[in-house]
This record gives sequence, C-alpha cells and structure tokens, in this order.
Amino acid sequence: MYQLTSVAKLYHKGRRTVPAVRDLTLTISDGQWLAVQGRTGHGKSTLLNLLGGLDRPTSGTIELDGTSLGALPETQLTRLRAEKIGFIFQTFNLIPTLSAAENVEAALIPLRIGHADRQARVAAALDSVALADRAAHLPTEMSGGQQQRTAIARALVKEPKVLLADEPTGNLDEDTRDEIINLLEKLWREHGLTLVLVTHDSSLARRAQRVGIMHNGHLTISDQAGSPEPST
Amino acid sequence: MFFATYVRRELRRRMRQAIFVALGLALGVGLVVTVAAASAGIARAQDKVLSTLYGQATTVTVTGGRWQQPAKLPKGTDNIEPGPGAEICSGNLGDNKCVSGAGKTLTIIDTLAEGISVAKVAAAARLPGVAAAAGGIFLNQSTISWPKRIPRQSDVPLGPPRPGGHPPADPDGGRTGGYPLEGVDTADPTLGPLGGATLISGRMFTAADANAHVAVVDAGYAASHHLRIGSHLTLGNTTWPSLAIKGIRFTVIGIVSQAAGSNPPSVYMPLKAAQELNYIPTGPASVQDRVTSIYLAAASAADVPAVTAEARRLLPGTTVTSASGLASEVAGSVTSAAKLANDLGRWLAVAVLIAAFAVASLLTMAAVSRRAAEFGTLKALGWRTRRIIAQVLGESAATGIAGAAAGIALGYTGAAIIAVVLRSVSATVGSNGDINGSVLIGGGPARTVAVPLHLSVSAGLIALAVLLAVAGALLAGAFGSWRIARLRPADALSKVA
Repeated sequence: MYQLTSVAKLYHKGRRTVPAVRDLTLTISDGQWLAVQGRTGHGKSTLLNLLGGLDRPTSGTIELDGTSLGALPETQLTRLRAEKIGFIFQTFNLIPTLSAAENVEAALIPLRIGHADRQARVAAALDSVALADRAAHLPTEMSGGQQQRTAIARALVKEPKVLLADEPTGNLDEDTRDEIINLLEKLWREHGLTLVLVTHDSSLARRAQRVGIMHNGHLTISDQAGSPEPST
Repeated sequence: MFFATYVRRELRRRMRQAIFVALGLALGVGLVVTVAAASAGIARAQDKVLSTLYGQATTVTVTGGRWQQPAKLPKGTDNIEPGPGAEICSGNLGDNKCVSGAGKTLTIIDTLAEGISVAKVAAAARLPGVAAAAGGIFLNQSTISWPKRIPRQSDVPLGPPRPGGHPPADPDGGRTGGYPLEGVDTADPTLGPLGGATLISGRMFTAADANAHVAVVDAGYAASHHLRIGSHLTLGNTTWPSLAIKGIRFTVIGIVSQAAGSNPPSVYMPLKAAQELNYIPTGPASVQDRVTSIYLAAASAADVPAVTAEARRLLPGTTVTSASGLASEVAGSVTSAAKLANDLGRWLAVAVLIAAFAVASLLTMAAVSRRAAEFGTLKALGWRTRRIIAQVLGESAATGIAGAAAGIALGYTGAAIIAVVLRSVSATVGSNGDINGSVLIGGGPARTVAVPLHLSVSAGLIALAVLLAVAGALLAGAFGSWRIARLRPADALSKVA
C-alpha cells in the first residue's frame, strides 16, 4: 500500500523554483488501479518517479508498505525497485542491442537468479504477452506494439507488487493501444498488482478504478462511482 | 553470459568508435613495444662490445698506468728495438749494438702497461662488494719485416712508439703486423675478455692448467694460422744474428668465437705462461710477479660504484673503469641509436599514449552521455550503479584488449622494420695507450666495428603492452563511470521523454 503525506517536489532552475508536485496526500491500496490524467507539464510523470523511487520528494513522505522511500539509502532503494516495482515507459525504453528475451532477462539480473531459472521465467513472461516467437528479435525488428509488450513482460517477469506505467500507449496506434491496455488490464487482474497508470487518454483512464487529475502539481481524485474529490 | 553478450552487442553497435579507440591505444602501445625492443637490442649490442673487453662477469677493471721508459733499464735486462736504417739494436739504451734487418723478420712481445703486483689481486678480492677478482696480462705480439733491399736511409729519427706497443714506424720500409695476447687466471677464466667468448670446439681453461703451456685461440686466428684442437704454436721466439730468444710452444685446447668488438685477444694462455714468455720489453722490465690488469666482479650492480672507489684507493696510479664508464666511451651509431631510442623514442611513445588515453576518455564519456536513457532504464529496473559501471568498464576492457593485440602486432612490425633497416650498428672503441694508458682496449688504433642488431619482443614486453592498453582503456571507462555514478534516474529518463 502506498501512503503519500504532504508530498512536494520542487525543481530549481537557476533562480526560479518550479513546483512539480504540491502538498500531495494520497493513499493507494494494494491491488488498486489508479489512472492519473492531466496536461503535459503538470506533474504526472514526476508523481510516477516519486512513487517508483526514481526521485526523492523535496518534502513530505512516501511510504510503500510502511517503508519511507525518501529515507532509504540509494542501494536499498535500488533493491526495492528490483524486487517490487515494475516500470513501463511511453517510449518502451528497451535496450537496443539486446533481444526481446535478453531485455526481459535484464530485469532479473539484479535478483541474482540462476541462469536456468532466469531462462524459464523469461520464456513464461514472453508467453504471457504472446511474444514467444519474437524472443530472439531485436527491438528494431519489432513493431511498436511488440516492443511495448516486451516492456510489459520485462516489468512483470520479476512478479512485482507495483506496476507504474507512464503513457504506455502514447506511441501506439489505436488498434495497438487497445491491445496493450487490454493486456495490462488482464495482467492486473491476474497478478493482483497495484497499478498506477499515467495517460492523456480519457477512455483509457475510465477503465481504472480511480482516476486522478494532476493540475499544476495538485492531484484531484475521483473514484469511478462518485464525483471528483481532492487528493487530501 | 549476459554480461559478455551485452558487452559484445554494445561494441558491435558502436564498432567504428571502438575501432578508433583501439587503434589509438594500439599506436601508443606499438610505439612503446618498438622503442623498448630497439632499446633492448641496442643495449645488447653495447653489451656485446663491452663483453669483448671485459667478459660478461666483470664489472670493474683496473689497468696499470702507462709505462714510463726509464733512462736506464735494470742490469741484465735486454732491450731490443728497431733502430734507424732497418737495424735492430740490443742492449741498454745508450749502448746500442745494432745489426741490419734487411730481409729479416723480428717478432717481439711487449706491453705498454705498468705491471701491478700479483699481491694486489688478492687485496682487491678482499675489497667490500667484490665477489671475485682475477689478474690478466695483456700483451702484443708484433712482427716487423724488412725487405732485402733497403731504400736510401733517412736521418730522420724514429718517432715515438705507436699505440698498441707496436714498434715505431720504420721510415725505411719495414712492415708491421701483430696479434693481441692475453694471459688469464685459469681458476676463473670468465673474468676478463675470455668471459665474453663462446667456446666452439675443445675446452676452456681449468684450474689444473695453471702451469701448463696450453692455449685457447680465436676462431679467426685459428683459421688464418691453420690451427685445430691439438695443434701447436710457438710464441715469443725471436731469432736474430747474435740474439736468439726461445719461445714457448703451446698446445691448442680450445677455439672460441668472439663478437666483433675492439680487437679481442687472438690467443689466451695461462697467466704463468704469459709471465714466462721472454718478451722483449719496450715496457716494464718484467711481469714475472705482476699482471697488467685486474678484473673485479662486483657482488651486485649496486656495489659497482663503491667497488670502483675502493679500487682507486687501493691502487693509485692505475685506471679503474667500470662497464658503465666504458660504455660512455663507446661511440658510433650504437650510441646515437641508443640516444634516439631512449630519449626521442621514449618521449614520443609516452606522448602518443597520453593522447590515446585522452581520446579514449572523451569518446567514452560521450558514449555514456548518449546512453543516459539506457542507463536510467537499467537503474529503474533495479541495476545498481556499480553493476552499470562494470558493464561500461567491461566494454572498455574489451576495447583495451583489442588495442593491446593490435599494438603488439604493430610493435613486432616496427621492431622488424628497424631490424631490416638497421641490420647492424657501429661501435667505435678507443685505442690502446689512449688517454688513460689503458692497454685493455688493446692492440691498435681506435676501431669502428659493426655489431649485429637483434631486436626481440620479450614476454615481459608483451605483458607490459597488454597492461598499458587495458589500463588506458579502463582509465577512459573510469571517466565514463564517474558520469554514470552522478546520473539521476529521473533526469536520465526525462531525456527520452
């Protein structure tokens, strides 16, 4: 479970201070699907980075299962990401020189799993996203949808608790977008993941259990049943 | 497996850059290998020249001072020397009894060095830092021949004795020739010029030969005098009207080859035999209980300066020379080549290596910048910074190993080219009776000899080449690694966005 309390993130650009996230308090329960919408530059990706431990808050606390992410030393934070948090990026972020299978395997390297075990898990992960026949292909040899499916397999191969997806369909055509979001939803249900998904797409956001709107660093939450609520 | 695959694929992706860096390292390493091989080859050439003077085991040599001719020789000493008008004169100076030399040949054995007491050899052996000491006697066998018809005699007086102890030039047409001889301590024949010779047939002296009339001869001398193992040669005999000097008949026991150096001795004999030869002194009255040189082997290279200083204190009036000191007197292209390799060559190699390291570092840092998003992704996946750094260093090490291999090949090629272009270097060594009156370099005027140049790349040099290339590449990788360590994942990932 995520617990964010009065979290703020400020960026200093010379003399200017840019507040990316302001005074955000939020609770995300285990297994919940939260979609975060908002215009570009209003703090959506910053929120995702804070949730993933890729950045530290300027003030406030972020706790994941009772562990304050901001207080952890870098090595422990890295370990936490390796074990519990999966990422999906808009631009797929696959390693261009590694095949689909090797990209998925890269997520298991920090866990020091034996070679045979790694291979088995990679095969299973690619199978779950219907990419077993593309295992040896490089990213440049795959379509956008196939690359994103590879990225999803990479995020899920380590069986994380949390999946953070930053505009996972942003670079895909409509048909592929539907394919990917259907896949994500399916895997969310199957694995009981806590899924935080950032998107511009309202139709995509509506499929989540809760929707938040980021505006100038403030998050306003609405659950699908009721009217919008501020995130405090 | 994953690590190697990642390294291999990444290097393949930026093949041109990797080749460029590897070639830069190869050039620097190749220069180092070539210069080192050339320096080693030239040093070996210098050693070859020096070893013919001293023998390989010797590091410090003491030679007697130049003999000063007294006004009157001791009673009973006969002095024979060519006089004016192709005459040979005997008796004490100022009491010449001369006969004509027309159609005759005079063979004399002499030395120009002041003898050193044999007792001093034992004293020198006891000096601190001295591992061994041996005495030697350097002699010249000179032959003067006159034609049967002597041209009109000149009243011009004879000049001073020529260097090498040869008799003064005869203005009336006498010819001279001669061979250097060396008496050696058979208990330790490796000390002295014989130590630099290679036995090609027969045997070397042993301690049991101390009182024997046996000889070890130079291969060239043996060939020109038709000598084999078991042959006999007589030295020191002179037949002259009213004068007959019996020589000593030696049996040849060994034939040696000697590097083309500064006129090495043609015949080696036991010290006692050299002392017994009825040589005709234009030098000291007798070397019966004396030697002309003492060869000292220092216990270590570090002891050489101290041994040199102690020897000078023990033996004033002599010339004490170490191999390094004589090395500075060796002139010729061997010296020029040594300077070129050691000064210009070394600095050029260092400069190229530094440039290669700098270029490799810049390129690696640029590559890291371009891969910022990739490294940010790896950090997001949970890769620790040091693992990412290990990946980059692995790529750098692979480039370094490729550079080392190419550098070794370049070095071999460079050394081979130098060996072909410079088949040999010349060494000019000073003459007998030169400034310090040293008879060690004996036998004639300053000579220039060609010393074969052999360049080789040793295993140690190959190891050094690999170390330099890999270290240089890792240094470049370290600069890139520093950037990775400072990389914040969020910032890196935002570059993609």
